Amino acid sequence: MGQVKTQQSMPTTRVARSSRFVKTGIQIGGNYIKHYSKKLFNPDISRDELNENNANDIYNSLSELKGSALKIAQMLSMDKNIMPKAYINKFSQSQYNAPPLSGPLIIRTFTKSFGKPPEKIFDSFNLKSTNAASIGQVHEATLNGKKLAVKIQYPGVADSISSDLKLVKPFAFRLLGMNEKELSVYIQEVEERLLEETNYELEVRRSVEFSEACKGLKNVVFPKYYPEYSSNKIITMDWMEGKHLKEFLETNPSQQLHNKIGQALWDFYNFQQHELRAVHADPHPGNFLITPDEKLAVIDFGCIKEMPDDFYVPFFGLVLPQHNRDKSANIKALRALDMIHKNDTPQQVKFYYNSYMEMISLFVLPYRSDTFDFSGAAFFDELYEYGEKLTRMPEFKQPRGVKHFIYINRTNFGLYTILHDLKATVKTNTFRPHIGSK
Amino acid sequence: MANTSPLKKTNTLTNEDIKNAYIDHVLSNDAPPRSVYDFAKKLKITEAEFYNHYASFMAIEKSIWSDLTSRAIEEVKLQEAWNTYTSREKMLSFFYAYVELLRTQRSFVIYSLKKSKSKISTPAVLADAKPLFIAFSENIIHSGLESGELANRKYFSEKYKDALWLQLAFILNFWIEDDSNDFEKTDEAIEKGIQVTFDLFQRSVIDNLFEYGKFLVRNGKIREKMGI
Repeated sequence: MGQVKTQQSMPTTRVARSSRFVKTGIQIGGNYIKHYSKKLFNPDISRDELNENNANDIYNSLSELKGSALKIAQMLSMDKNIMPKAYINKFSQSQYNAPPLSGPLIIRTFTKSFGKPPEKIFDSFNLKSTNAASIGQVHEATLNGKKLAVKIQYPGVADSISSDLKLVKPFAFRLLGMNEKELSVYIQEVEERLLEETNYELEVRRSVEFSEACKGLKNVVFPKYYPEYSSNKIITMDWMEGKHLKEFLETNPSQQLHNKIGQALWDFYNFQQHELRAVHADPHPGNFLITPDEKLAVIDFGCIKEMPDDFYVPFFGLVLPQHNRDKSANIKALRALDMIHKNDTPQQVKFYYNSYMEMISLFVLPYRSDTFDFSGAAFFDELYEYGEKLTRMPEFKQPRGVKHFIYINRTNFGLYTILHDLKATVKTNTFRPHIGSK
Repeated sequence: MANTSPLKKTNTLTNEDIKNAYIDHVLSNDAPPRSVYDFAKKLKITEAEFYNHYASFMAIEKSIWSDLTSRAIEEVKLQEAWNTYTSREKMLSFFYAYVELLRTQRSFVIYSLKKSKSKISTPAVLADAKPLFIAFSENIIHSGLESGELANRKYFSEKYKDALWLQLAFILNFWIEDDSNDFEKTDEAIEKGIQVTFDLFQRSVIDNLFEYGKFLVRNGKIREKMGI
């Protein structure tokens, strides 16, 4: 699903990228066959070889995927982001390929959750799913004349995420030449978020909370959620009519409409970041619909990233335009964010200070003026180029920065990328970062 | 008190009572009663009366299994969607109903299956349940063959039911070891296992390959002329 779609600016087509994964799937299948046929003749052969073969193939396909989007993500959080990002892509993609649930299993899932089959709960329920969600599938239902979307999770998803991560981790580190210890904190962050996405009860709670908190935003709408028809495997919400971004753009909407949707998206993200300090961290186009009455509908709250004060305050302190802020305050913030390490030499401090400040000044460009035109390629080219430059520097071989960057970067670059696709000009002063209390 | 004295009175114990007493005993002691005599005494019936119901302890266990199996079969057939299901869905449905029903007797199921060590042949306790399941499977396979959902292959179609029985044995053994929440992994094992089994029952690339091979053999002469 999703995160792959975020990278719409990637030069290769989505089809080409999916076929990469299909190929990997076949190779891994082949590895298993090879493994078991070897085992027939030599029962002593260990699984290590199999695991290594798998990790090699997974990594080969991932490294081919290192498109521009991955570079961008790398940029802010440096090398450490390669693996988590690659993980996210790989796992969401592989889940996307899961076969649909059988009718009897859907009925069983309902019976386990509510003690009765779907047709006893809804006025109508279509046993054939209308589309796949990241870790489940969506069914159409009606109740009291209302059309509903019912999302059902594949069984064993959480388990397979953990075991896949375990399988790939050690080999991936070795292949990347990175130290597992240094990376583990980031990997753990990704693992936590991925597992959170499998917790549907949490998702319903958050969806209700966030849609309530954001209901004042102009041109942003949310489906109503039905906790009474939701469980740890099922989420029931209103069916939202609308077009996905790509279909929307195909209808040749006016620039004014581009801007309206772009503004709604900008407001939605920045309201969350700066007012709620917790953000929908999965800004890929599949999670949004543009409704017939020209509003932005947000339909998935599976991935939420909370920003604790010890991250928000130093990070957005750097981002905020403060003319009289001195260098030592910035260095203090960079230290708090672990971008400058305790035992860095004075030369290193200077080097990292300059590099990070340059990077941040690029990142915050949209905030520097009251409006920003995301349609221009120049801004993005500069971001890419800078990212490219940094990845070639040996100084950025080791990971730096606190774990929160992984998802916050993903969120903001995802947002920028969608706004770029929308060619939107937005007012960027609607929800400014502010350091004071929430 | 006098009228409740069991002595010499025509006993009113049903098969069900004896079964429940037996389950209670094996689960409390993790072993069968020492002897029929001992067990009958506890039930306050004579040994002869016990034999009116069951020939042995093994016979009790067999009948518990066959009861569970036939109940699951009856239950799925009552489901609203049953008649709209394909053979594949009917079988999936049965397995989900079966493990759901077995939950009510999980301790006994574990006791009963773990006791019979052999994982390959059918455990003796399932001897009476097997013909029930096989008959049920044959029915489903038959309708699948008729509708064209399943491929009719010489010799092999006869074996479909045995493949399903192997699935049942596998899933039972999987389920008694399953420690996942809500036995979620067993659901996965059923979904994936039955799907792949029915994929094999369906007309597939193997059939086409076989047909193609037959065609090439039949037309050997042309092949010779082609020089291959």
